[in-house]
Amino acid sequence: MKKILNNPADYVEEMLEGFVAAHPEFYAQPERRVIARPEGATSGKVGIVSGGGSGHLPVFAGYVGPGFLDACAVGDVFASPSAEQMASAIRHADGGAGVLRLYGNYGGDVMNFDMAGEMVDMENDIRTTTVLLADDIVSAGKDEAEKRRGVAGMIYAFKIAGACADTKADLDEVTRVAQKAADACRSIGMALTPCIVPQAGKANFELGENEMEMGMGIHGEPGIWRDALRPADQIVDEMIDRILADHPFSKGDRLSVLVNSLGATPLEELYIMYRKVKQRFDDIGAEIVMPLVGRYATSMEMTGATITTIALDEELERYLKAPAACAYWRVG
Amino acid sequence: MATLDSARLKAALQRVAEGAAAAAAELNAADGQLGDGDLGITVSKGFAAAAEADLPSDLGMAFLECSKAFQRVSSSSYGTLVATGFMAAAKSAKGSESLDASAIPALVAAARDAMMARGKGELGAKSVLDSLDACVRAIEGADSAEMGTKAVAAARQTLQDFKGKPCKLGRARMFTEKSAELDDPGQLAFLRIVEAAVPAAK
Repeated sequence: MKKILNNPADYVEEMLEGFVAAHPEFYAQPERRVIARPEGATSGKVGIVSGGGSGHLPVFAGYVGPGFLDACAVGDVFASPSAEQMASAIRHADGGAGVLRLYGNYGGDVMNFDMAGEMVDMENDIRTTTVLLADDIVSAGKDEAEKRRGVAGMIYAFKIAGACADTKADLDEVTRVAQKAADACRSIGMALTPCIVPQAGKANFELGENEMEMGMGIHGEPGIWRDALRPADQIVDEMIDRILADHPFSKGDRLSVLVNSLGATPLEELYIMYRKVKQRFDDIGAEIVMPLVGRYATSMEMTGATITTIALDEELERYLKAPAACAYWRVG
Repeated sequence: MATLDSARLKAALQRVAEGAAAAAAELNAADGQLGDGDLGITVSKGFAAAAEADLPSDLGMAFLECSKAFQRVSSSSYGTLVATGFMAAAKSAKGSESLDASAIPALVAAARDAMMARGKGELGAKSVLDSLDACVRAIEGADSAEMGTKAVAAARQTLQDFKGKPCKLGRARMFTEKSAELDDPGQLAFLRIVEAAVPAAK
């Protein structure tokens, strides 16, 4: 393992310390492993919390900020935060109008966030709802779409739900809009190299020097195929074909697209990918709104990329374009 | 025991914590045959934390404290399931300082149902859910003096009933043949917990 760290056991604590120190205008750590807004919850506004394992920055904690999330629970690398940490995040997000739990579909996170919801209901009378991101089309078939895991699509859901909550809409309305955004997202990933969890100290799988894997999950979950590395256009074509097979777009449709680095892939290569993505949607006659190219949801130092599409209607596009700010994404 | 209150709950938790500590090595070994071998640690740490927790006199809030204490130190899947069981009992008992023993089967049934929902498990798959279900059926309508011994007998009988049957739930389902030969570690843990909670029945 070759990483810049002190003691692997202190990886998350020291990361959070630096994270809050670098961006005090966006993030505070009111309790261990809980990131919240420095100014506290907004009275009368629905709170939005997320959470999950570390190792995916800017997801999850990076999206705490105006127009995004209100608080976030942070677990160890690739491990769920505890239900208590999640309950604590919910309390810090609560402005008296209820709290939406908005996060990725992973077993441990779901069990713990459900527990957390029951805890704050019992102890604090906070009403909560849940919307799960299940945008990774490779992780289950269309007939079992609710079993899919959540990946980069969650950043669109954070943005759109955050904008809706800022209008002081009630909890049911924010939940409806977040679910609509989540349902409109489709993602697929590909990887060239694995990643190393600091406390494990070695790669979580192996991939040959000239190999790539299509459809790999953000914790190294197996994909659909593994073969010789292909040219960028061919890779993107397959990714877009698979997305379109799951969610077709037609002439006149509007969508946003995220071409996301899994950590180690440089912007240059993401733009090579985006060039082909744009051609594909131009061919269809669908218009891409506010494309995103960069590092938005990562998997430590994994080399590879994900492509996410979100189909937009007037409502989702309005919320996507509403002002918002965090250390990694500013709109308006 | 005619009634259950916060003090009696605490005393039972202390007995279970001792029993779980004594059974930790056995449970780790049983779990190690099919999984990562930490079930004894999960259960002993969890009940130790629950036994040390300050329990308020409201029984619901007392069960909630148990749930939180357990979850704090044992966030593995079994730990979360036990915490879920306590949480379900918490919801059922909220607002009462003492409950008649006749209410206990409903508390255990609520725990069983919540754990099934949380772990998306089914009865008959050879898991702790089968033990809980057998326990509920054994103590429903029973005289309060007999509930403890009936619960222990049901937990013991569940292990017998599943001998030779494969696990169909959790990590153990990947080892069809091996899991058929062995006791389900979760069912075994449940037996040790109930035995400790009901010392007279051991």
